[in-house]
Amino acid sequence: MAELNAFQNALAQFDKAVAHLNLERGIVELLRHPKRELTVNFPVKMDGGDIRIFTGFRVHHSTALGATKGGIRFHQDVTLDEMRALAMWMTWKCSLMGLPYGGAKGGVVVDPRTLSMRELEALTRRYATEISLLMNPQGDVPAPDVGTTGQIMAWIMDTYSMHLGYSMPAVVTGKPVEIGGSLGRNEATGRGVIYAVREAMKHLNLPFEGATVAVQGFGNVGSISARTAHETGMKVVAVTDVTGGAYNPKGLDLPALIQHATATRSVAGFPGADTITNEELLALKVDVLIPAALENQITSGNADKVQCKVLAEGANGPTTPEADDLLNAKGVFIIPDILCNGGGVVVSYLEWVQDLQAFFWEEEEISRHLERHVTKAFRRVVAEAEKRRIDNRTAAQVLAIQRVAEVTLIRGIYP
Amino acid sequence: MTNEFNPFEVAQAQFDRVADQLKLDHEVRSILRWPLREFRFQIPVRMDDGSMRVFFGYRVQHNDARGPAKGGIRFHPNETLDTVRALAMWMTWKCAVADIPLGGGKGGVIVDPSTLSVGEKERVCRGWIDGIWKNLGPRIDVPAPDVGSTPQMMGWMMDEYSKLTGQYTPGAITGKPVGSGGSLGRTEATGFGVVYTIREAMKHLKLDPKHCTASLQGFGNVAQYAAIGFIEQLGGKVVAVSCYDRNDKTSYTYFRPDGINPQFLQSITDQYGTIDKTKAKESGYLIEDGSAWLCKEVEVLIPAAIEGQITVETVRCLSPRVKIVAEGANGPTTPEADEVLKRHGVFLVPDFLCNAGGVTVSYFESVQNDQNFYWDQELVLHRLDQKMTMAFHGILAMAVEHDAYMRDAAYMVAIDRVVKAMELRGWV
Repeated sequence: MAELNAFQNALAQFDKAVAHLNLERGIVELLRHPKRELTVNFPVKMDGGDIRIFTGFRVHHSTALGATKGGIRFHQDVTLDEMRALAMWMTWKCSLMGLPYGGAKGGVVVDPRTLSMRELEALTRRYATEISLLMNPQGDVPAPDVGTTGQIMAWIMDTYSMHLGYSMPAVVTGKPVEIGGSLGRNEATGRGVIYAVREAMKHLNLPFEGATVAVQGFGNVGSISARTAHETGMKVVAVTDVTGGAYNPKGLDLPALIQHATATRSVAGFPGADTITNEELLALKVDVLIPAALENQITSGNADKVQCKVLAEGANGPTTPEADDLLNAKGVFIIPDILCNGGGVVVSYLEWVQDLQAFFWEEEEISRHLERHVTKAFRRVVAEAEKRRIDNRTAAQVLAIQRVAEVTLIRGIYP
Repeated sequence: MTNEFNPFEVAQAQFDRVADQLKLDHEVRSILRWPLREFRFQIPVRMDDGSMRVFFGYRVQHNDARGPAKGGIRFHPNETLDTVRALAMWMTWKCAVADIPLGGGKGGVIVDPSTLSVGEKERVCRGWIDGIWKNLGPRIDVPAPDVGSTPQMMGWMMDEYSKLTGQYTPGAITGKPVGSGGSLGRTEATGFGVVYTIREAMKHLKLDPKHCTASLQGFGNVAQYAAIGFIEQLGGKVVAVSCYDRNDKTSYTYFRPDGINPQFLQSITDQYGTIDKTKAKESGYLIEDGSAWLCKEVEVLIPAAIEGQITVETVRCLSPRVKIVAEGANGPTTPEADEVLKRHGVFLVPDFLCNAGGVTVSYFESVQNDQNFYWDQELVLHRLDQKMTMAFHGILAMAVEHDAYMRDAAYMVAIDRVVKAMELRGWV
């Protein structure tokens, strides 16, 4: 089978979900295409005095629901098709989470690790200026993604503000708290994952307290998910990262593990735990499995070994379509990625709201809004799946697409 | 060149001292020692007698790394650019200490407002806006009342700004009258803010407020609500307040060992802030010298009048019982008296933390204006409490970590926050 590129993949998912909806052809065609795509080629003066030309993108998939929202990725493998796929996928995620946002994505073809701080800042500011044709607080609000950080968002905010003549923090989210970021953003995705898991356990009539959890990946999403699970009374028995794994069927001491991982930059070698490989972790007999690392981890090759009751997709696209079918046939309850890790964009949205009102909430209020968004989206997905007798992933896509299609029709086709 | 006291040089010297403690580098200092922007403009005004007079207006934006500039407009005959610069810089630190997303600004007009008729005053206010409006706005710079200006004047200014921009923009000015975009709770804000910080200081010092007494200087807006809050919210006792008697042209302390009743005193205070001596005496208040408030046997002293009141001379009679000095006023303690307080181990709640309730509710006012949705008084005061409590603990943590005097810690926190914002934005 020839490998599909990311955008073809997104279109295939879209077509599968659209088959359940009675949409007219024109609307389907509209939603299959990004609304606008910008490619920019721009120079940056490097530390050696030479000038290098970089290529960047910003794609808006849909503006039906509101301003477009989506990250900026700095990675050497960025392509326009990847941007298209991710922008489309952001449209569905924002729609499903009930946010007044359309989807977008941006990126620069660059390996940021090869740049000095000065070069990185120059590239960021020049790219921000180039895409300022599309970017503004009411129209398109970027955020961090692979290869970009809070500091880079701060530079984007400052660049935009300098052109404007006054400060406009709402033009970008994922900023440090000192200049208009939101409390709780760092924890948002991981907490959202556990809110969704809690709803799933409730739905399946399984006890949440003491339920066993295995987490693949120990970056932001993996570590916060594991920590939140631990704090709310679940039993985290295994985690892995690129360096190795830690397993203790009686439950891992999460605060100590986080300390260990911070100190050694690895979960391997954690005292009081056995080692475990990635493959072994995915095959553990646990109540909840949380893949929170890369895409395509659960494939047709290992799906038959998966023994969890609930699969909570903290990562984007961890399950291949073939594996999906196998797991659904086995009766594994899947919390699909756009629902499971939608907490990140919810708090991005809350950051934007706080910036616009220039009033900042306590962390408690942020958590309350986050919980409400995730819980509500979860219940809608489950109800839709039962009503249509379809799997959760398709139900999530159906709901997301339906809302965008409806709004498009309510607004009417201009002129 | 004069040898007179120059407030801007003092402000720069204060900054330099903290910059040394924080080991700030040259680039950071060179940005923060001077305002980002300074405006000076003519305000031609038609006077009631038909003549035309030119006034001079100022606006200084010291720093806006953390958000739009914020600061009052002073109407004063001795206004100078250096005064405005100093106060603008001070607003930068004050907003940073309170941790509200605003920078520092200040403005002024060289005029004695008491020499103007109401109509002339209105034309000066509108003229001030005409001269600077393009550089003001809810996201650029938000003025407020200050010495010599009133809520009514802010109302005129808001109206002029709205006319020029063609849209109702209440968020461009704060300190407006309630009903014209002002916030509930503003009257109580500074005094209650003082009380919230005292409550937190008592927790830190493990003092039971129910067994604590306080003595206040002043009986204006800040002192009145500080007294009410100290009694009603903390359950403590206030034994003395003071005020300037405009008939006798001197100050008195009103002392009642069993505790004063602030509401009663409010009822016998005239609109200029003078308490009726005779009625007070009849009700058992002892009338003492204006500086007697400072010598009382109390746990808490609250200077809430004017600057320069606690000096090496006046502080001599300080009771060993005093545990907390909470500066409701701006600059009530001289640097020399600071040293005495330090020696006695008195816990200081420094002015720009202690009285930040005012600017915090100013900020809440602009938030409510921008979202076009108004909070009830309870919510305003609840959020004020949250903000003041957070601000207090931020500074206390710095003081404990560096074993620093609270005033120094407040400066360190403030400057540190502004520097952090500038670094993140790539200014330095």
